[in-house]
Amino acid sequence: MVKLVFLGKFRGLARDNAEVALPADVGTLAELKDWIVRRDPALGHAMAATQTQVIVNQSVVRDFSRRICEADEIAFLPPMSGG
Amino acid sequence: MQVRLTELPFDPQHEEAAFSAGRSEMGALVSFVGLCRGESPAVRGLHIDHYAGFTEKEVTRLAQDVAARFDCPDLLVVHRVGDILPGEAIVLVAALSRHRANAFDAVRVLMDYLKTDAPLWKRETGPDGARWIEPRAEDLARRAEAEGKRL
Repeated sequence: MVKLVFLGKFRGLARDNAEVALPADVGTLAELKDWIVRRDPALGHAMAATQTQVIVNQSVVRDFSRRICEADEIAFLPPMSGG
Repeated sequence: MQVRLTELPFDPQHEEAAFSAGRSEMGALVSFVGLCRGESPAVRGLHIDHYAGFTEKEVTRLAQDVAARFDCPDLLVVHRVGDILPGEAIVLVAALSRHRANAFDAVRVLMDYLKTDAPLWKRETGPDGARWIEPRAEDLARRAEAEGKRL
């Protein structure tokens, strides 16, 4: 199981921020993104249409070939707009 | 260095007074307060989403970076998350320094970073419903300018 977290405008498009069991063919972050597009096209489209940061276990990850580990928390962040 | 996210309204003057109390070695206190603007077409309020734990960590990192760059010994950031009504304070950034120039620079640059680099997402509710706010070109330009300043 991994925990998926969708923030900002992605949150409303995602089914939920929850623990999910990934299919056996989803082993890397790139494969996870492809799986999200297949499972939730509207969310996948929104993620593809903007600059999306991926945070794994609260650290920024830029290498999408990184393998996903059991109990990882993987967050998808749209462009930020604080202040 | 103090960074706090809060779901409750806060009083910027009270926060500032507590931050600067007993700091008689400091010659300057500069602060900025961002308010939830009720403009036309009527904005009924804001919602700010955050990533618990990560947002605090990132805002602290940004504040530490700015403090080091401008030799500004102490910074305070209070930022609302959740639902905010027009007129309420969204953010307070304050700097204590021995001299005013560093404090002015630190507050301005930290605000520029908070606009574009802090893991916070603003959703505005108006007459036509809610919409997520994207970073404005003007904010990105200010941030780029801040990046180059005094490097």
